[in-house]
Amino acid sequence: MTTADSTTDRPRMPSRLELALAGLWAGLRELAELVWSSPTAVVGLAIVLAWVLVAIFAPFITAHSPLEQDYLTINKGPSTEHLLGTDHLGRDVWARVAYGARTILSLGPISVLVAFLLGLTLGLPAGYYRGRVDEIIMRVLDALMAFPTILLYMIIISALGASAFNVVIAIAVGGAPGIARLVRALTMDIRTREYVAAAKLRGDHDFSIMVREILPNCRGPLIVDLLLRIGYAAFYIGTLGFLGLGLPPPTPDWGGMVQEGYSRMLANVWPVLSATLAIVTLVIGLNLFADGVREESMRYQ
Amino acid sequence: MARYIIRRMLTMLLTMLIVSVLVFAIVEIAPGNVARNILGAYATPEQEASMANQLGLTRPVHLRYLSWLFGSDWQAAAVIGLPLRQTVTAQGLVANSIQWWAVDENGDLAQWRVEQGQLVKLVRQPDGATVRIPDERAWRTEADGQEVFWGVDTAGRAAKWVKGQGGTEYRYEYSGWIKSTDSPAEYIPISKGLFRGEAGLSLRYKAPVSEVIGRRIGNSFILAVLAILFSIPIAVSLGLIAGLNEGKLVDRVISVGGLVTAGSPDFATGILLIMVFALWLKVLPGATVLTTEDAIFRDPRLLVLPVLTASLVEIGYVLRITRASVVEVMNSAYVRTAILKGLSYRQVVVGHVLRNAMLAPITVIMLHINWFIGGLVVVESVFGYPGLGNFILNAALYKDVYAIEAGAMVLIVLAVGTQLVADIIYSLLNPRIRYA
Repeated sequence: MTTADSTTDRPRMPSRLELALAGLWAGLRELAELVWSSPTAVVGLAIVLAWVLVAIFAPFITAHSPLEQDYLTINKGPSTEHLLGTDHLGRDVWARVAYGARTILSLGPISVLVAFLLGLTLGLPAGYYRGRVDEIIMRVLDALMAFPTILLYMIIISALGASAFNVVIAIAVGGAPGIARLVRALTMDIRTREYVAAAKLRGDHDFSIMVREILPNCRGPLIVDLLLRIGYAAFYIGTLGFLGLGLPPPTPDWGGMVQEGYSRMLANVWPVLSATLAIVTLVIGLNLFADGVREESMRYQ
Repeated sequence: MARYIIRRMLTMLLTMLIVSVLVFAIVEIAPGNVARNILGAYATPEQEASMANQLGLTRPVHLRYLSWLFGSDWQAAAVIGLPLRQTVTAQGLVANSIQWWAVDENGDLAQWRVEQGQLVKLVRQPDGATVRIPDERAWRTEADGQEVFWGVDTAGRAAKWVKGQGGTEYRYEYSGWIKSTDSPAEYIPISKGLFRGEAGLSLRYKAPVSEVIGRRIGNSFILAVLAILFSIPIAVSLGLIAGLNEGKLVDRVISVGGLVTAGSPDFATGILLIMVFALWLKVLPGATVLTTEDAIFRDPRLLVLPVLTASLVEIGYVLRITRASVVEVMNSAYVRTAILKGLSYRQVVVGHVLRNAMLAPITVIMLHINWFIGGLVVVESVFGYPGLGNFILNAALYKDVYAIEAGAMVLIVLAVGTQLVADIIYSLLNPRIRYA
């Protein structure tokens, strides 16, 4: 009992978790203020949120399953039964668009996060240690960056086979070099600061310095880069789907829908038109949002 | 400067080497094989195995990689024991049919064939015809007692026959399957290798990659040049207008318009354009079908939609870079000085802003050539345009490894080459930059 009393007497030190949550909360508020002050970002966010809502509530706002085929209603235009008509297998286009939003909105952020993990593991040590480690990592990354991204995707996916997992791998590998370069440049700048020297002096481990001192202080540019990259990822997931390198057929995927509907455009324009407009609006929404945030954050600097 | 260029060139070669190894490795570990892709779903396992053997796919991967890079004629000459020579002649419909021959003791060009268990040497005459000479004495006895012979077969491959054990060979010709017995047990396809100017055989087209790829590069080049010529002037002038009117309505409209065209995936832009111009207005063709070699020049309408699609993304991108650059220059101290010393607006824009604001777009245009190439791949795929991008996409889907390698090498030279040119132009325009 006495110990409990003594803790109430002194102001309690916040735990590490509480500190982290407080930091996260402050970061989110900062981001929210940034978004709110840019009309471009607000418009972009509204478009993206609309698609996020469609993705989350897909089962409640569609009358049909995206996979249910009906051979009696093939290639029909919009009706009260099928809001956007049906495709060449009699599947409901609106249901496929709504569930397709789930596909692209989950794969996009996941692949960007994987790309960031890869980029951080390469960029932090390269910028922190410099020397030979840096030299080797940068040579390999230069080689990867000289390689046209689309070709990299094509080769990776045609080699590994088309699946959600491989799309994530391809986009992560394609994005990692750019992120690693950014992280390296930021690390090279931040490692000369006093608080890094202080951490070294008190004997912190290199790993802990990189993750606890350097990484949090790179967050501004990294968040902007992350937002931009989610737009690119959505762009490329759609493109891969269109090239026939996306998700395997029955899965509702916008790029794949465009490819399937494209050759049947003369019979029924609705499947291809809906999927094309869906991907265009989502990618533009993501771009407007990221661009607004970027411009606003540059104004602060 | 010269040292800098040489160093960049060496880096490029290193990049090409790394990428070529990676491509070979990825294609190697990938499931499925090109023999199956050539033969289709209905070939028997024996036919597939025979095809893989004839293509040399059963050889170890590092030997195949070295053959691709440095050629396999020296490997073949070593096992045959005679020097080899290549002839290029017109044969049937093929203008440049490549054949390989061994040069025998008399200096004659020779190939071999086994007929009913008997080894026959075919000696090439000056007119191209061959004379049959029985050559039974050429068999060599191996340690295990088997009599074998290494020579060049009539398809120009190094081949190993085993006496009394005619292998079964399946060949897929236009007329269908041809099964022949008395065939070799092992093959080494002969080539000169990339370093000596032969990029290998495209297994899909059954023709040298360099021949197939050449015209594709030309087609893509036309598309790319037209798209750049069309988009850059528009993009730069729009960017200039937006940048000079920063914050006004015209700037907002142009900026958001640029974001929309730059952000939309190329395939979506292309399909929307096809819908409007080909499907509803019916004024332009929606696909680029080249029936003859000069179809592009005979009917330029074929090119309108592909060029427009490739341009829109580019316009949006370059416009935004130009605008940002102009805004930055307009806020600089030397422009303020120029205005304060009484120069007219026109003089300031032409004399001070334009020149400095053009630095960024020029390098950025060159640097994002990779992005542009990616766009071309997609545009070519949308319109069925027979260009390099479409070629590589199909090669990748088909696992046509030499075609993928050749395409990748061309793209790297293009990407790294333009980056180098961009750096040089930049250093010429901006005297503050010096490369050492």
